[in-house]
Amino acid sequence: MGIANESRQEEQNMREEHHGAGRYWLIWGLLLVLTFVTVETGQIHIPTWGLVLALVIASTKGALVLLYFMHLIDHRGANRLVFAVSIIFVVLLLAIPLVDLGTRFRGATPPGSTYSDMQAIDIGADAEEGRYGGGIRKQGKTGEESGAPKQ
Amino acid sequence: MQSSSHAAGGTAQPVPHLAGHFASLEVQNHAARLGMWLFLATEILLFAGLFICYGVYRFLFPEAWAAASRSLDLQLGTINTVVLITSSLTAALAVHYAKEGKNKMVAVQIALTLVMAVGFLVIKYFEYHHKFEIGTLPGRFYSYEGIQLPGVPLYFTVYFCATALHGIHVVIGMIVLAFSMVRALKKADFGPNNYTMVELGSMYWHLVDLVWIFLFPMLYLV
Repeated sequence: MGIANESRQEEQNMREEHHGAGRYWLIWGLLLVLTFVTVETGQIHIPTWGLVLALVIASTKGALVLLYFMHLIDHRGANRLVFAVSIIFVVLLLAIPLVDLGTRFRGATPPGSTYSDMQAIDIGADAEEGRYGGGIRKQGKTGEESGAPKQ
Repeated sequence: MQSSSHAAGGTAQPVPHLAGHFASLEVQNHAARLGMWLFLATEILLFAGLFICYGVYRFLFPEAWAAASRSLDLQLGTINTVVLITSSLTAALAVHYAKEGKNKMVAVQIALTLVMAVGFLVIKYFEYHHKFEIGTLPGRFYSYEGIQLPGVPLYFTVYFCATALHGIHVVIGMIVLAFSMVRALKKADFGPNNYTMVELGSMYWHLVDLVWIFLFPMLYLV
């Protein structure tokens, strides 16, 4: 019964809230404005909060797409639950490795990274190729002017 | 597995077939949407894996990340974002017209979506081509002298994996929408009771847009 009620409710929402096409154009306008805002603020390169701001704007845009273009606002129960659970798992997936890396013993972080005292590992096949995995083109210059420490 | 009463209707009926194991058309539509959301959840988690790679390596190599993201062409990235958002609008409008039974408009809107999708891929091709020219490539294929920092090749590994996976999704989305377009032109049977095909195809397209909405600032801006 619960499922049947839910289906009926959803069907009604999808039908009754069948407004004109104007709402889609409005959302589109908002998305373009937010894109403009994120491009403008992104170019300032705000030190720490730049990433946070960009993600907040992206999440707002994502929410608009989900709720109105994908009609999640008209959908009921199970659909919302499925989506919410997937987002919870994304957050968990992101948080756990970052907490791990952020609290690691310094010597256990990858060599060459900001949190390591060791030099980057040479993943090139020979000395001609860059130490940082940057294979300098053999026929070209060797990249002396880049200022990177050479062996 | 059609219930006999509906199978008797034959091909003339514009109403979609109701499978025998569903109580009503409403329940069937609900099940179709739920199935699509479940599938989209797996898609979100598929892309989440790449986002986590991005987060972890950005945390470890912040300087490389900043330098590499500034080497991308912001202008092309912004144009692509606008193209994809607009294509999402036309995909949403296609569902809108499908509900009203305006099959011709459905076909037109999907055609516009497909044109913009092709535009997106063409711009992406030029971006990739430039990267192959200057050598900002993943791993040991990296040969760009302008940025020599530990971790830079990793940025381009993430860049190429994420944008290529997204590109594959664009192509799949185009195929799915093309099927709806052909149906809208040939059978022209979309209407208030039968728009699930357009709706689900459009939902897939919006997911493609959604992923790009996050990829764009992460790769090009910050």
